[in-house]
Amino acid sequence: MEELLRFEHVSFAYEDGAEQRLALKDCSVSIGAGERVAVLGSNGAGKSTFFLLSNGVLCPKEGTVFFHGEPVGRKKQELNRLRRGVGLVFQDPDVQILGGTVEEEISFGPMNLGLSREEVRRRVDGAVERMHLEDLRQRAPQYLSGGEKKRVSIADALAMEPELLLMDEPAASLDPENCRILEETLDMLGEQGLALAVATHDVDFAWRWAQRILVFQHGCLAADRTPEEIFSDTALLDTCHLAQPMLFRAARAMGIRPLPRTMEDFEQAVSGRHREQGGERI
Amino acid sequence: MIVAVLAGFVMFSLCVGTLPTAAAAALCVLVGGILLAFGHHSHGGVLVIDVYARRSRYFAWSPALKTACCVLLLLLCVASASPWVPLVLALILALLTVCGGGIHLHDYLALLSLPAAFLLLSGLALLWDYAPAADGAVAIPFWNGWLVVTAAAQVRARLVMARALGAVSCLYFLSLSTTMPEILSVLRRAHVPSVMTELAVLIYRYLFVLLSVYQSMKDAAASRLGYSGFARSIRTTGSVYGNLLATSFRRSGACFDAMESRCYDGEIRFLEREKPVTLPAALLFGGLLAGTVACMMIGGA
Repeated sequence: MEELLRFEHVSFAYEDGAEQRLALKDCSVSIGAGERVAVLGSNGAGKSTFFLLSNGVLCPKEGTVFFHGEPVGRKKQELNRLRRGVGLVFQDPDVQILGGTVEEEISFGPMNLGLSREEVRRRVDGAVERMHLEDLRQRAPQYLSGGEKKRVSIADALAMEPELLLMDEPAASLDPENCRILEETLDMLGEQGLALAVATHDVDFAWRWAQRILVFQHGCLAADRTPEEIFSDTALLDTCHLAQPMLFRAARAMGIRPLPRTMEDFEQAVSGRHREQGGERI
Repeated sequence: MIVAVLAGFVMFSLCVGTLPTAAAAALCVLVGGILLAFGHHSHGGVLVIDVYARRSRYFAWSPALKTACCVLLLLLCVASASPWVPLVLALILALLTVCGGGIHLHDYLALLSLPAAFLLLSGLALLWDYAPAADGAVAIPFWNGWLVVTAAAQVRARLVMARALGAVSCLYFLSLSTTMPEILSVLRRAHVPSVMTELAVLIYRYLFVLLSVYQSMKDAAASRLGYSGFARSIRTTGSVYGNLLATSFRRSGACFDAMESRCYDGEIRFLEREKPVTLPAALLFGGLLAGTVACMMIGGA
């Protein structure tokens, strides 16, 4: 697996007035091509700071960020290389949306890359198609619903054609139907080979979807392991105020192996077991 | 209501002396009545204009053509020496906006009542004068002298108000058929300094954000009885505004981050959809411009 992004001993502090608090402390982590990473941690644990650093909006106070093995400095050109390769979808789409129509809005990023009109048009069309925004193309973003705005803000990032897409709590303030659509989108993007990192509070989602989980706590990277390892480590879950996923607990209690990731897997395992037991009885 | 009464009074002051008094009074009641019937205030004026523009039948026309012609017509209106040219133009443009563009007459008049208040107040100041002697179409004794409307003041006020009305209807035609982002992109292509156009883009965008934040803050305050009683209302309004300022600061930081994350390099550019100049549009605007110029030449000769 090719390495996309690497943090080496990265620290960052926000300067609000005289007080300086470290928002991220000595963080070392790497994300490879095509990975599906969930980022867990309570509010203010450093998830958003991690994302802003990964995208080059913030620059580390100490340590270095590497993109494709090359260190990213503070020069505009180097930062833009990182911003182009790593897309960021903000938690609140209203913060991101700028254009007068959905199409214009999506074109903002590609236009900044200095591409030709044809190339910008191709990318906008591609992002519109991937996010199913055909009907909204000429609509004004300010009149869209929350779910639609979210799709537009993901299309914004996709139009930059990144290799890694970061999403900051994408399911926040979405209704269940829109959450379902969002998960389908995530699956589709994953299948297309895009590396994804999603910050979330939903442990059930993380269990269902992620290959790997990063847990942040008080600005430190507390754990970086597979979902099985993370959710088996009760001491870690306790200190980071995380709960075990419902399916994980149920399957463990019933002694099902391997642990099912989705409801469908779980149902299959349970009905398979009933059949076995029924067979014994007969 | 106030606008309607004001309009009636100003109409009367404009016409008295030149028309028979009965006719002037009838005109005054008519204008006041129309405004009273249709011109009640609509809420969220800015948002409404934006919505109407997107709904207008002229929305598909080339924004560059619309902007250029409206600006030219506006200049002609302001330069006109006779009050009739801008008045007729205002009427034609209002008809076009309402019948051609598909904006309801009621909505149009409601929108017009916003600038009308300013227009009428300045008309009042132009018309009425304080003089030691009673010489004019109307004179009312006041404080050792007279409040008078002279014929010269009437002529001047008619011209100024006609020009202003013409200019307003030009701008209304433009803003009720073209959205702000389109007008801004035209200005950008016309090489207006990018600082101005970009500020306008940002203001336009965050107006909606701020309005919605303001609305929810106000609702939250109202739900906790923040507006019960006059003194408390004032206090609440103050703290809502204060909070709005703090929120805007925080938000502007987040918005800038979001722009940076998409490689913002100091210039806002969008991919624009081409709206070519169509024959009916060119004919309409060509006709309007030619007609106005012709009228002014004939009037001047």
